[in-house]
Amino acid sequence: MKFLIDDVTVYFPYDYIYPEQYEYMVELKRALDARGHCLLEMPTGTGKTVALLSLISSYALARPSPPLKLLYCTRTVHEMEKTLAELRLLHSHLPPTHRSLALGLSSRKNLCVNPIALSSASRDSVDSACRRLTASWVRAAAAEQPPGAVPTCPFFEAYDRAASSGPDAVLLPPGVYTLGDLRALGREKGWCPYFLARQMIRYANVVVYSYQYLLDPKVAGIISREMQRECVVVFDEAHNIDNVCIEALSVSVRRQTLDGATRNLHRMAQEIDRFKATDASRLRAEYNRLVEGLAQRGNLALTDAWLANPALPDDILKEAVPGNIRRAEHFLSVLRRLVQYLKGRLQTENVETERPVDFVASVSSQAGIDQKMLRFCYDRLHSLMLTLEITDTDEFLHIQTICDFATLVGTYMQGFSIIIEPFDERMPHIPDPVLQLSCHDASLAIKPVFDRFQSVIITSGTLSPIDLYPRLLNFNPVISRSFTMSLTRDCICPMVLTRGSDQLPVSTKFDMRSDPGVVRNYGRLLLEMVAAVPDGIVCFFVSYSYMDGIVNSWNEMGILQDVMQHKLVFIETQDVVETTLALDNYRRACDCGRGAVFFSVARGKVAEGIDFDRHYGRLVIMFGVPFQYTLSRILIARLEYLRNTFQIKEGDFLTFDALRQAAQCVGRVIRSKADYGMMIFADKRYSRHDKRSKLPGWILSHLRDAHLNLSTDMALHIAREFLRRMAQPYDKAGTGGRKTLLSQEDLEKMGEGVMDMF
Amino acid sequence: MAVINMAAKYKTMVKEPGIPGVLKMSEEKFIFIPNDPRSAMKLNVDFRSIKGHKFSKDGSKQALLNLTQDSEKGGGYIFEFDNFSNRNVCRDFVGKVLGKFQALMSSKQNEQPVPEKPAAAIHGEQLSTTEMEHRMKLLREDSELQKLHKQFVIGGVLTESEFWATRKSLLDDDAQRTSKQQAGFKSAMLADVRPLTDGRTNKVTFSLTPEIIHQIFAEKPAVHRAFLNFVPSKMTEKDFWTKYCRAEYLHRTKNSVAAAAEAANDEELAVFLKNDDILANEARRKIRRVDPTLDMEADLGDDYIHLPDHGLPQDGSKETADAENDIARRTLSQDLNRHAAVVLEGRALDVELGDTRTVAEALARSKRAVSFAETSDEKTNQERLKRVSRMTEIEDLQAPYSLPYAPLCIKDPREYFDLQQANALKAFGDTDAGTKPIDCSLSTEEAYVHLMEQISEMKVRGLNNPVVQPEAALKVLNGLNQYLSSTKYHLGKNPQESVLDRLPNRTKDELMHHWTSIQELLRHFWSSYPITTAYLYNKVLRLKDAMAQIYHKLQETKESVQSDFRHQVSRLVQPMLQALDAAFAHYDTEQQKRYNKSGNKPNGFVQ
Repeated sequence: MKFLIDDVTVYFPYDYIYPEQYEYMVELKRALDARGHCLLEMPTGTGKTVALLSLISSYALARPSPPLKLLYCTRTVHEMEKTLAELRLLHSHLPPTHRSLALGLSSRKNLCVNPIALSSASRDSVDSACRRLTASWVRAAAAEQPPGAVPTCPFFEAYDRAASSGPDAVLLPPGVYTLGDLRALGREKGWCPYFLARQMIRYANVVVYSYQYLLDPKVAGIISREMQRECVVVFDEAHNIDNVCIEALSVSVRRQTLDGATRNLHRMAQEIDRFKATDASRLRAEYNRLVEGLAQRGNLALTDAWLANPALPDDILKEAVPGNIRRAEHFLSVLRRLVQYLKGRLQTENVETERPVDFVASVSSQAGIDQKMLRFCYDRLHSLMLTLEITDTDEFLHIQTICDFATLVGTYMQGFSIIIEPFDERMPHIPDPVLQLSCHDASLAIKPVFDRFQSVIITSGTLSPIDLYPRLLNFNPVISRSFTMSLTRDCICPMVLTRGSDQLPVSTKFDMRSDPGVVRNYGRLLLEMVAAVPDGIVCFFVSYSYMDGIVNSWNEMGILQDVMQHKLVFIETQDVVETTLALDNYRRACDCGRGAVFFSVARGKVAEGIDFDRHYGRLVIMFGVPFQYTLSRILIARLEYLRNTFQIKEGDFLTFDALRQAAQCVGRVIRSKADYGMMIFADKRYSRHDKRSKLPGWILSHLRDAHLNLSTDMALHIAREFLRRMAQPYDKAGTGGRKTLLSQEDLEKMGEGVMDMF
Repeated sequence: MAVINMAAKYKTMVKEPGIPGVLKMSEEKFIFIPNDPRSAMKLNVDFRSIKGHKFSKDGSKQALLNLTQDSEKGGGYIFEFDNFSNRNVCRDFVGKVLGKFQALMSSKQNEQPVPEKPAAAIHGEQLSTTEMEHRMKLLREDSELQKLHKQFVIGGVLTESEFWATRKSLLDDDAQRTSKQQAGFKSAMLADVRPLTDGRTNKVTFSLTPEIIHQIFAEKPAVHRAFLNFVPSKMTEKDFWTKYCRAEYLHRTKNSVAAAAEAANDEELAVFLKNDDILANEARRKIRRVDPTLDMEADLGDDYIHLPDHGLPQDGSKETADAENDIARRTLSQDLNRHAAVVLEGRALDVELGDTRTVAEALARSKRAVSFAETSDEKTNQERLKRVSRMTEIEDLQAPYSLPYAPLCIKDPREYFDLQQANALKAFGDTDAGTKPIDCSLSTEEAYVHLMEQISEMKVRGLNNPVVQPEAALKVLNGLNQYLSSTKYHLGKNPQESVLDRLPNRTKDELMHHWTSIQELLRHFWSSYPITTAYLYNKVLRLKDAMAQIYHKLQETKESVQSDFRHQVSRLVQPMLQALDAAFAHYDTEQQKRYNKSGNKPNGFVQ
């Protein structure tokens, strides 16, 4: 359908539209008009993504100059695929003259088609395998030698030849390209899909990639450096964006890292000796360049780019590298001293927490390395590695970690802390020293994004309380709004279960979680539900260790065997491959009618981006409240920072964080208004007002008072009722005054109504 | 077959002590002579009256043999023997005699002039004792069928084979059903064998059944491969499983040090404890065809925030860090996932579970076939893409998809719709009976008059008294009910049923029985035409006689019923009689033709 919002013709790929989608578009358009940032919360299951994509695409078509580009950031690759699929649907509804180019971007691991590089298992080894074939000095060597003597990548060579005659030669025809499409295209044309995509994002109208390509300076530095200001940046499912931001600037150092770094330094010393003997001029040239103040070697070849500086672009010193680390040997000895110093710090017996200022002072006094040298560590290392023509970057990750750490600690004095723990709190008898540089200030990493781009849209199904995010991220949204959901029928049914079938309270509180009575009551709950609910059921637990424990207990008690009589059981594990296969099987089991249960973890990978809509999830059970591990030093330090800077109370933040996770987990069951699902919060703490009230409004509005304090048998009764009610046919468009589905005519009428008012 | 003499005790009930005596069995009959000559419990029974035999299991308390008579007559002859070998001799003898007898019985009724044929028939019948049992079972389950069988087969109108020939579908259907549907894997995790301890010694017992072994093979390809490699060339099957159980036990006790030590000493044992490399390969292959919208591995490959030692430590990431141990730490979650995957895949094995070796080999074959089939990739890819795009669409924002559907097949529309209407009518009658005006009944005027009277009365007296007089109400209600049930009849919803319901039970049963008998006979009758063999000719003769009998009986019933039902009964009987008349007419014309032909024939042949 096609309709007008003010003066913009909006192309929408469906015949009908939900009223909240329309409102969402209206708000979004205002934000774009104002060229400001906005914060929008809309419940899951109301087609947020398609509303976003269709409005921004239509807006770009309506205002062709300056060309507006959409940078759409998703948290995961599978969400990227979903977004691209929606974009493809939208594209088939755009007028044919206005076709645009949209593509997804990912790492080499996901885009490479070269069988040699692909045979490597991990991402880092694929990256370094690619460098081994495509680095500029490798290619130069290959050009000198007879063909075949030095292996190169045929796909990259073909692409490079095609691209050398100008960017138009490799410009992709308009359309939507998923990662799979890019790979297929690469195979067909013999071009390298990764570098093709890297090149194409400059010309594309829509780029879909992961958060880190904008937020993590290491990656953003190479990928997103050239994006113009006329960009609309969307962070979808952004309820966790503060965590991503602080993670992007956090580094930890372990004993293994230091050992690895020592080995790396040793090898680099050997390389330097070798170069001295054979090709001393190279080292001298590097020195001269550094004297002239160029940390980087001018225009770097596309393939030589490595992970960029971990500090944010604005904070990188535009000065010459200090004199005492210009010479390779001197730099190596500085690094050696640093590693030695860190080794000494790791030998502590007590937990130590330090501010960066103190740490830098201590480094300076004990190892003789001043702050400026620390700040340049990363750039100097990068330059040295290029000079030494090191291709197997995956071997040098350890020393790179050390340099990242040094650069960050030398750059930032505020919002960070250094925590040294001799062992894990949970396993005090196993020595596992770790030195962590943790960032507490989420606004640091996202600041350049807000500054650079004209509109940043942060949206998710759960952004409650919505006033907290501008404070955490330190920005001023022009629009900040939370939408409710208009429903034709009560298609979600949240319940709070506080007691088991024996009327004893259930909870994952620390003192109760290992109580066999609670474990059994949770098991009975699952067993009853498995027998009553058709198709898929998803269970979320508070942590991996808790899930392992309770599943083992259920196995011993025989509850798991009884569950298996009704449904197949799949579990999320730490191994992503296995989890992916388990998910795939889970879907197949739901498709074929066998029915299945999926056990997952509230802060795990599955909870982040996998939908359990329609028959893939008719019920989701949240076992416990997913609080963070409150004894973690990092968390304590962060809470302290939040209290001092934003006056946010510890308890409030912890509850907010736990409840947004819980809401996110249960929100995965519903996708559209035709869908339906139940949500059980199985913990007595949910019945308390201070916890419950932190849930997003669209859940709270369906949470009836009668459902606040249930036992297993009552919940079962309600579930049966609900399922029976949902099985009845209903009127999709909604009746009476409140329409829940708008057609084109309705929208036109609404438009006229508005006209009349003015 | 000789005669068997065996000491046994005769009982009428299992619980009784029994009367000691001698059981004498010949081919025709069995005789029981009690040891105590005064006892009246002498038996002399013809095998003809024995329909089957049951016996207690070997090793159970008593060695019993139960010769059952017709189920209708009830009871049987129970003999207890001193030991099982004696019982088994008798049991086998009885089995043979009964089998032969049944065949003989059918062959006797095969009044065929050619002697070879019945022999062949006997042979054929005898070949399939399971078939026989199956037929017996069908008869037992369906009393109607049993009645027919008794009437015609035992009564000699039809032979056994003729009787069943028209019910081929019944036989085949069942046979096919049992063969076609394969049971999948059990949902229970059988492969997770739990050890049993006796509590006194340190001995631990694992018990494996063929079913469990099959599941172990399916879920643990490494064990399967090891079995194919080692057994029987390197070790016996028993040793293999002992070793497997030992490894399982080590795994179960979570004693990783002991496990490592054992694995170092014994390389075969190590196979069971190590990571399953076949599974790992399979996973790598499968991950490529996984739906991209849930491919979390790709996500891991894109995540530069969590470079080693970057980002914040996540829950549980530590455990994976030091799992580089050679002795894999197989977790329950992995087992659960694997089990569910195997159950979902289903079992494509058509080998009887039993011999482990054949099962293992068959499994290997089926796996190879599967990996062959998976090579065609392009199509599945297309399908996957289509599914992804389907999944992204929001279903209620657009016109519904016209899904391919199979139209509802109603076998007997009349029955189906009648039933619905009857139901509707019933519901209607329940709720609306009270409010329905009696507009076309005889009592309209009466009711009107009565109502007027009532109203005028009420006007005088006020509302204190009941509005309606009880007698009048009852009368109206009765009239109403009669009207309702009679409409049911008049509308012709299911006249047979409602009429039959009114008939006395005896008459009703009789009619129903006649009706089924006639159907059976007519089916055989019409299927016999055109008559090509003498056998068919005889059959038709027999059928005609039987039909004539029933015709007669029908007439009798019709006349014998009470006068008030006579009309209805004759209405019911009418179609049956007509059908029979048609058959007779056909018979007569055929007979006439035949006669004419045979009359002409000699002339033709002479020339």
